[in-house]
Amino acid sequence: MERTAFRAMGTDVELFLDVPPSEDVPDAFAVSRDEFERLESLLSRFRPDSELSALNRSGRLRAGPDLLRVTELALAARQRTDGRFDPTVHDALVAAGYDRSFEEVGAAGRMVATRSAVPCGGSVRVVPRTGEIMLGPGVRLDLGGIGKGYAVDRVCDLLARSGPCLVSAGGDLTVRGGSWPVGVEIHGGTLTLELTSGAIATSGSDRRRWTTAAGEAHHLIDPRTGAPAESDLLRVTAVGRTAVEAEVLAKSLYLAGAERAGVEADDLGIPAVLTLVDGRDVLAGGLS
Amino acid sequence: MTSHTGRLYALAGALFAFFVLWAAIAAHPWAPETAASDPRLAALAQRERQLRADAVQVQTIVRRRLAAHRAALAKRRAEIAAARLAASRAPVVSAPQAAAPSVRVVTLPPLVITKTS
Repeated sequence: MERTAFRAMGTDVELFLDVPPSEDVPDAFAVSRDEFERLESLLSRFRPDSELSALNRSGRLRAGPDLLRVTELALAARQRTDGRFDPTVHDALVAAGYDRSFEEVGAAGRMVATRSAVPCGGSVRVVPRTGEIMLGPGVRLDLGGIGKGYAVDRVCDLLARSGPCLVSAGGDLTVRGGSWPVGVEIHGGTLTLELTSGAIATSGSDRRRWTTAAGEAHHLIDPRTGAPAESDLLRVTAVGRTAVEAEVLAKSLYLAGAERAGVEADDLGIPAVLTLVDGRDVLAGGLS
Repeated sequence: MTSHTGRLYALAGALFAFFVLWAAIAAHPWAPETAASDPRLAALAQRERQLRADAVQVQTIVRRRLAAHRAALAKRRAEIAAARLAASRAPVVSAPQAAAPSVRVVTLPPLVITKTS
Protein backbone atom coordinates (compact mmCIF):
# COMPACT_ATOMS: atom_id res chain seq x y z
CA MET A 1 0.00 0.00 0.00
CA GLU A 2 1.45 3.35 -1.06
CA ARG A 3 0.38 6.58 0.66
CA THR A 4 1.07 10.28 0.48
CA ALA A 5 -0.41 13.29 2.26
CA PHE A 6 -0.40 17.04 1.73
CA ARG A 7 -2.49 20.17 2.33
CA ALA A 8 -4.82 21.47 -0.36
CA MET A 9 -8.15 23.29 -0.48
CA GLY A 10 -7.78 24.21 3.19
CA THR A 11 -7.78 20.61 4.36
CA ASP A 12 -5.62 17.50 4.74
CA VAL A 13 -5.47 15.36 1.62
CA GLU A 14 -4.48 11.69 1.66
CA LEU A 15 -3.93 9.47 -1.37
CA PHE A 16 -3.69 5.68 -1.16
CA LEU A 17 -2.69 3.34 -3.97
CA ASP A 18 -3.03 -0.40 -3.45
CA VAL A 19 -0.03 -1.36 -5.59
CA PRO A 20 3.50 -2.60 -4.87
CA PRO A 21 6.18 0.10 -4.62
CA SER A 22 7.43 1.21 -8.02
CA GLU A 23 8.95 4.24 -9.66
CA ASP A 24 5.54 5.07 -11.23
CA VAL A 25 3.87 5.70 -7.88
CA PRO A 26 5.58 9.05 -7.09
CA ASP A 27 4.66 10.25 -10.58
CA ALA A 28 1.01 9.28 -10.07
CA PHE A 29 0.96 11.08 -6.72
CA ALA A 30 2.60 14.16 -8.25
CA VAL A 31 0.01 14.32 -11.03
CA SER A 32 -2.76 14.00 -8.43
CA ARG A 33 -1.32 16.76 -6.30
CA ASP A 34 -0.98 19.03 -9.32
CA GLU A 35 -4.62 18.42 -10.18
CA PHE A 36 -5.72 19.38 -6.64
CA GLU A 37 -3.69 22.58 -6.86
CA ARG A 38 -5.00 23.38 -10.34
CA LEU A 39 -8.61 22.99 -9.25
CA GLU A 40 -8.03 24.98 -6.06
CA SER A 41 -6.56 27.82 -8.12
CA LEU A 42 -9.78 27.85 -10.19
CA LEU A 43 -12.48 27.24 -7.58
CA SER A 44 -11.30 28.96 -4.39
CA ARG A 45 -13.26 32.02 -3.25
CA PHE A 46 -10.28 33.06 -1.13
CA ARG A 47 -7.94 33.52 -4.10
CA PRO A 48 -8.53 36.84 -5.85
CA ASP A 49 -7.10 35.48 -9.11
CA SER A 50 -9.32 32.38 -9.25
CA GLU A 51 -11.97 31.98 -11.92
CA LEU A 52 -14.63 31.86 -9.21
CA SER A 53 -13.46 35.18 -7.73
CA ALA A 54 -13.54 36.74 -11.20
CA LEU A 55 -17.10 35.49 -11.65
CA ASN A 56 -18.16 36.79 -8.23
CA ARG A 57 -16.64 40.21 -9.02
CA SER A 58 -18.11 40.67 -12.47
CA GLY A 59 -21.34 38.64 -12.20
CA ARG A 60 -20.72 37.22 -15.67
CA LEU A 61 -17.90 35.08 -17.00
CA ARG A 62 -17.03 32.82 -19.89
CA ALA A 63 -15.79 30.06 -17.63
CA GLY A 64 -13.43 27.17 -18.19
CA PRO A 65 -14.79 23.62 -18.26
CA ASP A 66 -14.17 22.92 -14.56
CA LEU A 67 -15.91 25.98 -13.12
CA LEU A 68 -18.70 25.48 -15.63
CA ARG A 69 -19.14 21.83 -14.63
CA VAL A 70 -19.04 22.46 -10.88
CA THR A 71 -21.58 25.26 -11.25
CA GLU A 72 -23.85 22.97 -13.27
CA LEU A 73 -23.51 20.25 -10.63
CA ALA A 74 -24.28 22.74 -7.86
CA LEU A 75 -27.38 24.03 -9.64
CA ALA A 76 -28.57 20.47 -10.28
CA ALA A 77 -28.06 19.75 -6.57
CA ARG A 78 -29.99 22.87 -5.60
CA GLN A 79 -32.91 21.68 -7.70
CA ARG A 80 -32.68 18.07 -6.50
CA THR A 81 -32.55 19.01 -2.81
CA ASP A 82 -35.27 21.61 -3.12
CA GLY A 83 -32.85 24.36 -2.15
CA ARG A 84 -31.28 22.73 0.90
CA PHE A 85 -28.02 22.68 -0.99
CA ASP A 86 -27.38 26.07 -2.56
CA PRO A 87 -24.18 27.50 -4.05
CA THR A 88 -25.40 31.09 -3.56
CA VAL A 89 -24.53 31.08 0.16
CA HIS A 90 -21.37 33.14 -0.40
CA ASP A 91 -22.63 36.40 1.11
CA ALA A 92 -24.35 34.56 3.96
CA LEU A 93 -21.04 32.88 4.84
CA VAL A 94 -19.25 36.23 4.72
CA ALA A 95 -21.96 37.81 6.88
CA ALA A 96 -21.56 34.98 9.39
CA GLY A 97 -17.87 35.83 9.62
CA TYR A 98 -16.34 33.24 7.26
CA ASP A 99 -14.82 35.91 5.02
CA ARG A 100 -11.29 34.53 4.74
CA SER A 101 -9.58 31.14 4.86
CA PHE A 102 -10.52 29.06 7.88
CA GLU A 103 -6.93 29.10 9.17
CA GLU A 104 -7.46 32.84 9.81
CA VAL A 105 -11.14 32.78 10.81
CA GLY A 106 -10.70 29.92 13.24
CA ALA A 107 -7.50 31.25 14.84
CA ALA A 108 -7.66 30.81 18.59
CA GLY A 109 -8.88 33.83 20.51
CA ARG A 110 -10.06 35.67 17.41
CA MET A 111 -13.43 37.39 17.70
CA VAL A 112 -15.07 37.48 14.28
CA ALA A 113 -17.29 40.37 13.24
CA THR A 114 -20.66 39.39 11.80
CA ARG A 115 -23.52 41.03 9.94
CA SER A 116 -27.18 40.14 9.74
CA ALA A 117 -28.22 37.05 7.78
CA VAL A 118 -28.24 37.31 4.00
CA PRO A 119 -30.95 35.66 1.89
CA CYS A 120 -29.85 32.96 -0.56
CA GLY A 121 -31.36 31.40 -3.67
CA GLY A 122 -30.49 34.10 -6.21
CA SER A 123 -30.45 33.62 -9.95
CA VAL A 124 -27.61 31.70 -11.60
CA ARG A 125 -27.69 30.93 -15.32
CA VAL A 126 -25.33 28.66 -17.20
CA VAL A 127 -25.12 28.63 -20.99
CA PRO A 128 -23.27 25.40 -21.83
CA ARG A 129 -22.99 26.27 -25.54
CA THR A 130 -20.94 29.40 -24.87
CA GLY A 131 -19.54 28.40 -21.49
CA GLU A 132 -20.99 31.50 -19.90
CA ILE A 133 -22.15 31.81 -16.29
CA MET A 134 -24.40 34.73 -15.36
CA LEU A 135 -25.24 35.68 -11.78
CA GLY A 136 -28.25 37.69 -10.73
CA PRO A 137 -27.75 41.11 -9.08
CA GLY A 138 -25.85 40.76 -5.81
CA VAL A 139 -25.45 36.98 -6.20
CA ARG A 140 -22.06 35.37 -5.46
CA LEU A 141 -21.15 31.71 -5.36
CA ASP A 142 -19.37 29.57 -2.80
CA LEU A 143 -18.28 26.22 -4.24
CA GLY A 144 -16.15 25.16 -1.28
CA GLY A 145 -17.71 21.80 -0.40
CA ILE A 146 -18.85 20.72 -3.83
CA GLY A 147 -15.60 21.96 -5.40
CA LYS A 148 -13.66 19.76 -3.02
CA GLY A 149 -15.88 16.79 -3.88
CA TYR A 150 -15.33 17.49 -7.58
CA ALA A 151 -11.57 17.61 -7.03
CA VAL A 152 -11.65 14.30 -5.12
CA ASP A 153 -13.57 12.64 -7.95
CA ARG A 154 -11.28 14.03 -10.65
CA VAL A 155 -8.12 13.04 -8.81
CA CYS A 156 -9.52 9.58 -8.12
CA ASP A 157 -10.15 9.19 -11.86
CA LEU A 158 -6.52 10.09 -12.51
CA LEU A 159 -5.07 7.93 -9.76
CA ALA A 160 -7.20 4.91 -10.69
CA ARG A 161 -5.12 4.54 -13.87
CA SER A 162 -2.31 3.32 -11.61
CA GLY A 163 -4.39 0.85 -9.59
CA PRO A 164 -7.03 0.54 -6.87
CA CYS A 165 -7.05 3.81 -4.95
CA LEU A 166 -8.64 5.99 -2.29
CA VAL A 167 -8.59 9.78 -2.34
CA SER A 168 -9.57 11.65 0.81
CA ALA A 169 -9.80 15.38 1.31
CA GLY A 170 -11.03 16.10 4.81
CA GLY A 171 -14.47 14.58 4.98
CA ASP A 172 -14.84 13.76 1.31
CA LEU A 173 -13.40 10.54 -0.08
CA THR A 174 -13.82 8.37 -3.15
CA VAL A 175 -12.53 4.88 -3.90
CA ARG A 176 -11.89 2.97 -7.12
CA GLY A 177 -11.28 -0.77 -6.97
CA GLY A 178 -10.43 -2.85 -3.92
CA SER A 179 -12.17 -2.62 -0.57
CA TRP A 180 -11.38 0.15 1.88
CA PRO A 181 -12.19 0.35 5.60
CA VAL A 182 -13.28 3.91 6.33
CA GLY A 183 -13.82 5.18 9.85
CA VAL A 184 -16.83 7.33 10.77
CA GLU A 185 -16.75 9.28 14.02
CA ILE A 186 -19.65 8.40 16.30
CA HIS A 187 -20.34 9.05 19.96
CA GLY A 188 -17.75 7.21 21.99
CA GLY A 189 -15.67 5.82 19.13
CA THR A 190 -15.37 5.04 15.48
CA LEU A 191 -17.64 2.99 13.22
CA THR A 192 -15.92 1.31 10.28
CA LEU A 193 -17.61 1.14 6.88
CA GLU A 194 -16.10 -1.04 4.18
CA LEU A 195 -16.43 0.81 0.88
CA THR A 196 -15.83 -1.13 -2.33
CA SER A 197 -17.16 1.51 -4.72
CA GLY A 198 -18.52 5.00 -4.45
CA ALA A 199 -17.79 7.83 -2.08
CA ILE A 200 -18.36 9.08 1.46
CA ALA A 201 -18.76 12.61 2.75
CA THR A 202 -19.39 14.05 6.19
CA SER A 203 -21.04 17.37 6.97
CA GLY A 204 -21.61 18.81 10.39
CA SER A 205 -21.29 21.70 12.79
CA ASP A 206 -18.65 20.10 15.00
CA ARG A 207 -15.73 21.53 13.04
CA ARG A 208 -15.05 24.78 11.18
CA ARG A 209 -16.46 26.79 14.05
CA TRP A 210 -15.47 30.27 15.12
CA THR A 211 -16.31 32.78 17.82
CA THR A 212 -18.49 35.82 17.27
CA ALA A 213 -19.90 38.46 19.62
CA ALA A 214 -23.20 36.53 19.56
CA GLY A 215 -21.58 33.18 20.37
CA GLU A 216 -20.17 30.37 18.28
CA ALA A 217 -20.89 30.10 14.58
CA HIS A 218 -20.22 27.38 11.99
CA HIS A 219 -19.91 27.04 8.25
CA LEU A 220 -23.11 25.16 7.39
CA ILE A 221 -25.45 27.86 6.17
CA ASP A 222 -29.16 27.10 5.95
CA PRO A 223 -30.15 28.73 2.64
CA ARG A 224 -33.69 29.17 3.93
CA THR A 225 -32.53 31.53 6.72
CA GLY A 226 -29.18 32.73 5.36
CA ALA A 227 -27.59 32.00 8.75
CA PRO A 228 -25.63 29.09 10.25
CA ALA A 229 -28.04 26.16 10.48
CA GLU A 230 -29.64 25.10 13.73
CA SER A 231 -30.09 21.35 13.82
CA ASP A 232 -30.53 18.47 16.24
CA LEU A 233 -27.80 16.74 14.26
CA LEU A 234 -24.13 17.12 15.06
CA ARG A 235 -22.99 15.64 11.75
CA VAL A 236 -24.10 13.37 8.94
CA THR A 237 -22.02 10.91 6.95
CA ALA A 238 -23.58 9.90 3.63
CA VAL A 239 -22.56 7.45 0.93
CA GLY A 240 -23.00 8.30 -2.75
CA ARG A 241 -21.78 7.28 -6.17
CA THR A 242 -19.34 10.18 -6.22
CA ALA A 243 -17.88 12.58 -3.69
CA VAL A 244 -19.96 15.38 -5.20
CA GLU A 245 -23.13 13.38 -4.68
CA ALA A 246 -22.13 12.27 -1.17
CA GLU A 247 -21.27 15.88 -0.23
CA VAL A 248 -24.65 17.13 -1.42
CA LEU A 249 -26.50 14.30 0.32
CA ALA A 250 -24.65 14.82 3.62
CA LYS A 251 -25.37 18.54 3.65
CA SER A 252 -28.98 18.07 2.61
CA LEU A 253 -29.63 15.42 5.28
CA TYR A 254 -27.97 17.58 7.93
CA LEU A 255 -30.25 20.49 7.10
CA ALA A 256 -33.29 18.20 7.09
CA GLY A 257 -32.90 17.45 10.80
CA ALA A 258 -32.61 14.04 12.44
CA GLU A 259 -36.14 12.71 12.04
CA ARG A 260 -36.63 13.73 8.43
CA ALA A 261 -33.06 12.77 7.51
CA GLY A 262 -33.62 9.22 8.77
CA VAL A 263 -36.84 8.88 6.80
CA GLU A 264 -35.31 10.31 3.61
CA ALA A 265 -32.22 8.13 3.85
CA ASP A 266 -34.38 5.01 4.30
CA ASP A 267 -36.85 5.95 1.56
CA LEU A 268 -34.19 6.89 -0.99
CA GLY A 269 -31.75 4.13 -0.01
CA ILE A 270 -28.97 6.53 0.98
CA PRO A 271 -26.56 4.74 3.34
CA ALA A 272 -26.01 7.28 6.12
CA VAL A 273 -24.74 7.63 9.68
CA LEU A 274 -26.58 10.32 11.65
CA THR A 275 -24.87 11.59 14.78
CA LEU A 276 -27.31 13.49 16.96
CA VAL A 277 -26.56 16.28 19.38
CA ASP A 278 -28.30 14.32 22.16
CA GLY A 279 -25.66 11.57 22.06
CA ARG A 280 -27.42 9.03 19.84
CA ASP A 281 -26.13 7.58 16.58
CA VAL A 282 -28.55 6.35 13.91
CA LEU A 283 -27.70 4.11 10.95
CA ALA A 284 -30.02 4.60 8.00
CA GLY A 285 -30.47 3.76 4.33
CA GLY A 286 -29.69 0.07 4.64
CA LEU A 287 -26.72 0.29 7.01
CA SER A 288 -26.93 -1.95 10.04
CA MET B 1 78.53 52.63 -83.21
CA THR B 2 76.42 51.75 -86.18
CA SER B 3 77.38 48.09 -85.94
CA HIS B 4 76.49 48.04 -82.22
CA THR B 5 73.06 49.41 -82.91
CA GLY B 6 72.58 46.90 -85.65
CA ARG B 7 73.56 44.01 -83.39
CA LEU B 8 71.14 45.20 -80.70
CA TYR B 9 68.26 45.32 -83.20
CA ALA B 10 69.25 41.94 -84.47
CA LEU B 11 69.28 40.51 -80.90
CA ALA B 12 65.89 42.09 -80.08
CA GLY B 13 64.46 40.72 -83.31
CA ALA B 14 65.82 37.28 -82.56
CA LEU B 15 64.30 37.33 -79.05
CA PHE B 16 60.93 38.43 -80.41
CA ALA B 17 61.00 35.70 -83.05
CA PHE B 18 61.94 33.13 -80.36
CA PHE B 19 58.95 34.01 -78.13
CA VAL B 20 56.51 34.10 -81.05
CA LEU B 21 57.65 30.64 -82.05
CA TRP B 22 57.33 29.42 -78.42
CA ALA B 23 53.77 30.71 -78.16
CA ALA B 24 52.86 29.12 -81.49
CA ILE B 25 54.22 25.74 -80.39
CA ALA B 26 52.54 26.02 -76.92
CA ALA B 27 49.14 26.57 -78.56
CA HIS B 28 49.27 23.08 -80.12
CA PRO B 29 47.70 24.20 -83.38
CA TRP B 30 48.09 20.68 -84.72
CA ALA B 31 45.99 19.03 -81.92
CA PRO B 32 42.50 17.62 -83.02
CA GLU B 33 39.29 19.32 -81.70
CA THR B 34 38.01 16.34 -79.59
CA ALA B 35 35.89 18.15 -76.95
CA ALA B 36 33.03 19.13 -79.19
CA SER B 37 32.81 15.90 -80.99
CA ASP B 38 33.44 13.33 -78.11
CA PRO B 39 30.20 11.21 -77.80
CA ARG B 40 31.01 10.32 -74.17
CA LEU B 41 30.96 13.97 -73.11
CA ALA B 42 27.75 14.52 -75.04
CA ALA B 43 26.16 11.57 -73.22
CA LEU B 44 27.30 12.92 -69.87
CA ALA B 45 25.82 16.32 -70.64
CA GLN B 46 22.56 14.69 -71.68
CA ARG B 47 22.55 12.62 -68.48
CA GLU B 48 23.11 15.73 -66.38
CA ARG B 49 20.18 17.49 -68.03
CA GLN B 50 17.98 14.44 -67.37
CA LEU B 51 18.98 14.28 -63.70
CA ARG B 52 18.27 17.98 -63.23
CA ALA B 53 14.81 17.53 -64.73
CA ASP B 54 14.18 14.50 -62.48
CA ALA B 55 15.28 16.48 -59.41
CA VAL B 56 12.78 19.22 -60.21
CA GLN B 57 10.02 16.62 -60.51
CA VAL B 58 11.00 14.93 -57.23
CA GLN B 59 11.05 18.26 -55.42
CA THR B 60 7.57 19.06 -56.70
CA ILE B 61 6.25 15.68 -55.50
CA VAL B 62 7.92 16.08 -52.08
CA ARG B 63 6.51 19.59 -51.66
CA ARG B 64 3.01 18.36 -52.55
CA ARG B 65 3.21 15.39 -50.16
CA LEU B 66 4.59 17.56 -47.33
CA ALA B 67 1.73 20.01 -47.76
CA ALA B 68 -0.77 17.13 -47.62
CA HIS B 69 0.95 15.68 -44.54
CA ARG B 70 0.91 19.06 -42.78
CA ALA B 71 -2.79 19.49 -43.53
CA ALA B 72 -3.54 16.00 -42.17
CA LEU B 73 -1.42 16.71 -39.07
CA ALA B 74 -3.25 19.99 -38.41
CA LYS B 75 -6.59 18.21 -38.80
CA ARG B 76 -5.50 15.41 -36.44
CA ARG B 77 -4.24 17.90 -33.86
CA ALA B 78 -7.57 19.76 -34.02
CA GLU B 79 -9.39 16.44 -33.49
CA ILE B 80 -7.17 15.63 -30.48
CA ALA B 81 -7.74 19.09 -28.98
CA ALA B 82 -11.50 18.73 -29.46
CA ALA B 83 -11.43 15.27 -27.87
CA ARG B 84 -9.43 16.59 -24.91
CA LEU B 85 -11.87 19.46 -24.44
CA ALA B 86 -14.78 17.07 -24.61
CA ALA B 87 -13.09 14.78 -22.07
CA SER B 88 -12.46 17.66 -19.69
CA ARG B 89 -16.10 18.68 -19.98
CA ALA B 90 -17.36 15.16 -19.54
CA PRO B 91 -19.42 14.89 -16.41
CA VAL B 92 -17.66 13.27 -13.49
CA VAL B 93 -21.00 12.65 -11.87
CA SER B 94 -23.60 10.94 -13.95
CA ALA B 95 -25.63 7.89 -13.30
CA PRO B 96 -24.38 5.73 -16.17
CA GLN B 97 -20.69 6.45 -15.51
CA ALA B 98 -20.49 6.29 -11.72
CA ALA B 99 -20.83 2.88 -10.17
CA ALA B 100 -23.47 2.38 -7.51
CA PRO B 101 -21.92 2.69 -4.06
CA SER B 102 -21.25 -0.51 -2.19
CA VAL B 103 -20.83 -0.25 1.58
CA ARG B 104 -21.29 -2.31 4.73
CA VAL B 105 -20.45 -2.06 8.39
CA VAL B 106 -17.41 -4.11 9.40
CA THR B 107 -15.29 -4.56 12.50
CA LEU B 108 -11.94 -3.85 10.84
CA PRO B 109 -9.70 -1.01 11.99
CA PRO B 110 -10.16 1.95 9.63
CA LEU B 111 -7.49 2.94 7.14
CA VAL B 112 -8.73 6.52 7.07
CA ILE B 113 -11.37 8.47 8.99
CA THR B 114 -13.93 10.75 7.39
CA LYS B 115 -14.50 13.92 9.38
CA THR B 116 -16.66 16.98 8.97
CA SER B 117 -15.35 18.83 5.95
